[in-house]
Amino acid sequence: MQSVIQKRMVSAGTAMASMRACRVLLCAGVLGLLAAFPASGQQVEVEEFTLDNGMQFLLVPRSDQPNVVSAGWVARVGSVNERPGITGISHFFEHMMFKGTDTIGTRNPERDAAYRAEQKRLRDAINELVWTEQYERFRRGEINDPWDPANDTADLRRLRTQLADLIRAQQGRSAAEAIADVQRKLAALEEGSAEAKPLMEQLESLQKQQAEAATIVKDEFDQVYTKAGGSGMNAFTSYDLTCYFITVPSNKLELWAWMESDRLDDSVFREFYSERDVVHEERRLRTESTPTGRFQEQFDSLFWVSSGYSWPVIGWPSDLNSYTFDQALEYWNTYYRPGNLFGVLVGDFDPEEAKPLIERYFSRLDPGTNKPAPVVTLEVEQLAEKRMNATGDVPPSVEIRYHTVPAGHADSYALDMLAEILNGRTGRLYKGLVEGRGIAAGARASSDTRHYAGLFSVSGQARGEADPDALEQAWYEELARLQTEDIPERELEKVKNGVAADSYRSLESNMSLLIQLAFYETLVDWREINETPKKYDTVTAADIRRVANTYFKPTNRSVATYRREQ
Amino acid sequence: MNVRPSAIVLALALTTSAWVASVGFVPELLSSRASAADAVAASLPTRPEQIAFDPLAFDPPAAKDFRHVLPDGTVVYLAESHEFPLIDLSITFKGGSSLDSAEIPGLASMTARMIREGGTKNLSPETFDEQLDFLATQASVSAGGTFSTASMNCLKKTFDESLALFLEMLREPAFDAERLATTKARQIAQLEQRNDDASDILGREWRQLLFGAEHFEGSLPTLASVEAITPERLSAMHKQIFHPGNMIVSVSGDFDSTEMLATLEKAFANWERGEPVADPPVPDHTLTPGVYHVPKDIPQGKVAIGMRSITRDDPDAIALDVLNDILGGGGFTSRIMRSVRSNEGLAYSASSRLSPRVDYPGEFRAGFESKNPTVALATKIILQQIADVRNELVTEEELETAKQSLIETFPRVFESKPQMLSVFVSDEWTNRPEGFWQTYRNRVQAVTAEDVQRVARKHLDPAKMAILVVGNWEEVAKGDLDGRATMADFFGGEVTHLPLRDPLTLEPVE
Repeated sequence: MQSVIQKRMVSAGTAMASMRACRVLLCAGVLGLLAAFPASGQQVEVEEFTLDNGMQFLLVPRSDQPNVVSAGWVARVGSVNERPGITGISHFFEHMMFKGTDTIGTRNPERDAAYRAEQKRLRDAINELVWTEQYERFRRGEINDPWDPANDTADLRRLRTQLADLIRAQQGRSAAEAIADVQRKLAALEEGSAEAKPLMEQLESLQKQQAEAATIVKDEFDQVYTKAGGSGMNAFTSYDLTCYFITVPSNKLELWAWMESDRLDDSVFREFYSERDVVHEERRLRTESTPTGRFQEQFDSLFWVSSGYSWPVIGWPSDLNSYTFDQALEYWNTYYRPGNLFGVLVGDFDPEEAKPLIERYFSRLDPGTNKPAPVVTLEVEQLAEKRMNATGDVPPSVEIRYHTVPAGHADSYALDMLAEILNGRTGRLYKGLVEGRGIAAGARASSDTRHYAGLFSVSGQARGEADPDALEQAWYEELARLQTEDIPERELEKVKNGVAADSYRSLESNMSLLIQLAFYETLVDWREINETPKKYDTVTAADIRRVANTYFKPTNRSVATYRREQ
Repeated sequence: MNVRPSAIVLALALTTSAWVASVGFVPELLSSRASAADAVAASLPTRPEQIAFDPLAFDPPAAKDFRHVLPDGTVVYLAESHEFPLIDLSITFKGGSSLDSAEIPGLASMTARMIREGGTKNLSPETFDEQLDFLATQASVSAGGTFSTASMNCLKKTFDESLALFLEMLREPAFDAERLATTKARQIAQLEQRNDDASDILGREWRQLLFGAEHFEGSLPTLASVEAITPERLSAMHKQIFHPGNMIVSVSGDFDSTEMLATLEKAFANWERGEPVADPPVPDHTLTPGVYHVPKDIPQGKVAIGMRSITRDDPDAIALDVLNDILGGGGFTSRIMRSVRSNEGLAYSASSRLSPRVDYPGEFRAGFESKNPTVALATKIILQQIADVRNELVTEEELETAKQSLIETFPRVFESKPQMLSVFVSDEWTNRPEGFWQTYRNRVQAVTAEDVQRVARKHLDPAKMAILVVGNWEEVAKGDLDGRATMADFFGGEVTHLPLRDPLTLEPVE
């Protein structure tokens, strides 16, 4: 996936500071980059069917890479479906889905459920105290962070200790420190010492006690797949969708159907509370410890006003701490029911064998009764230019963004082609900013069209003594040319050739095709994978000039500049 | 099963009803569905172990079935694949940064880059790029540590034209002065970012700790070394690496093998054949164990823990691979991930990696990133995991999972045609022992828990390791709120504070 994108982008020069390499948390739109087929090119033959419970499947059998199948499924839910208070819950679900069911991940489902119920009681009590007392202390200025355990009251500290003890007991680590202590004493003894025997007995008793308390089988979901030759198991959450995928040997398709239908049927959100620490670390890794992560997050929120795209996929830190088990359950019953899901299989398999298998296993999913609420809030029209001027340990750079259109909109194809005209070693940004004016180390454009709205972004990194403002002005000059002159025929043809060839390249890998189908089906319709190339092929120079004039107006833009802290 | 109704037309005005339209929800059917679903569930296996799988036979492909030798002696691997009208051609040359002099680290890399960017004797850089882009042909040239690669991917119908351009570039690069100035300026802009991301700092200091600043694995370009690069120096490096006496070719995609061999023979004619380059130098640096720290004000410390390890063909390699899988290489099923992330929630990623080298001992490296106060705790846990695999036998279940995973995923080594050919090319260049892949699964199967413990004791020793931390030392050193660990727990509390270095000169900054 990443490599496909990079193949097309690599010649645009140094990757911009704004390009975040996200493996699990996919933040960038991909349609404009991956799409396309030559009008005469071959079609992706998809076999589609829907179970009685509403779950849809897309099957693409192909045999050039023998013995393996890439298999995945998509929940049509992402951060855009959230609201303040539960931002990041879609991504948190992605983590929860690997934590098992009453069958996978536990040796005693009843006692495990009892642990979870008690943990829920404690955490609800913690939340209640933080939201009331700690938030009040925070408002009065007595503490700097209501969630920081260093600021805990005595009540909170007691509850938190109880919760931590329960989590350790459930994991079989209740006596871990006592055991380590005895082991240290044993190790320090001379060989044949008389003290060894009572210590050994104490050790055995501690270990037995600990094992009896444990109900979790850690990461069993992963272990079953690993042993069976599954590889590349992962998932990502985006603004509009959440996708779970793996590559399995062809003879293990039934295992996939078993494992995925089991977790969709019966996930119990085990480790609901301890996993938050992991997500906080993920947030620190992706957002807080990268040169531009936190700036990017704020720029997103400045750009989108009313749209659900205004908060980060990973969520605001206070919301990460806040969401409750009950909220999660409601989310599950609404968005993880079969009518809101679809599966995709690409690789070496026989559809006539796969279909009965899929029907047999996935029919166990209950359709449920909650309908996902439609996303009704539209982005309001932008009235004036917005700017953010940031300084930090960042390369001097600039990003200019415009509101555009959702995926599948008639103008989206011309906007995608416009990005291609700007990108690449012979693209206008390289020629104009890197080579011609000699002010940029790299520059790139992207058209990011999502389910409900879209944006177009141009970014560049300054070089030498050049200031980000110079890059911004240079883009406006290039833009003026696009708005007043038609693209020469040969230049348009060059871009169309490139897009057509890339369409084949992007289909070579099973997983890349799976992920493209996931995006097409969620954002528009999977058939777009065959329609988009024709639509690209009909884009004219006049179309490109028209969209450049329609969308790239000063009042429709937001600008971020980054300068190095001196 | 019913086929899904026709596609939804998506436009802003319709989004509010898109979900209902796409699923055709019929609420009154719900209750009966639920009971039908229960009936289905009752007939399914209750555990995944109850499913019987058909055997999947897989014989690894043999290199000799794809290997050809042109009359001039050039080795060519070919694999046809007719699913897409594309051809992928790759030439691997021996030598890369390993050939850099101490004065100009990065020269081989810049040579590769400028072969691609600097035009040819007959075509200006701009014309060359325009022609290639118009054909929709991708070309790239890069120098790695011990090998350099030139690759081309094009549509079948433009193969002849593309190959002509590609070989003109490889054989007669012009190293255009103006392009060189641009490329140098872009590289300098990149050097300026060296201290922005803590992971970059961690990576470069780690390589120097392990291999030394003099060896090519640890040496780095500076402003002065970039400025010292001239077209003459690029030419000399080009002449040394990029010639038929020093290359192996692989082609996969939509072609006929007989025709391809004839085409290549003609295309390579009169290309001067030099000598293959020498083997890479062996580093003479020895790692000094201990705790190292580089300052960077971020909320999360980045950590590497490890030591020099084995060569690729070491007899312990497979057992050590199995061990590493159990210890930290196997994702969620590995001990480091489980203890640091899953149990304690101290990190998002925590793992270990074994990277042998062909010509000299490589490295073992564990690592994670965690909020500054829990860096010491996570470090302690990892060192404990390493001590455990030395002191106790791994469980049969862990051993079985690791071995099965290596065996079952083995076919993926040869999954795509380009990937399969790259294995063959690499094996030939590095003299991989005959029959390695044919016997691989049996040798994995033969590894015992005792083997794992033996290689752990021999090749992993916490007392011989370095612990490198990039982060806010004041917060890191103090340790966690509960007092479970501090940095004083390691190497008697002794720390070597490495300075942050100027991004352009690499001299220490105050």
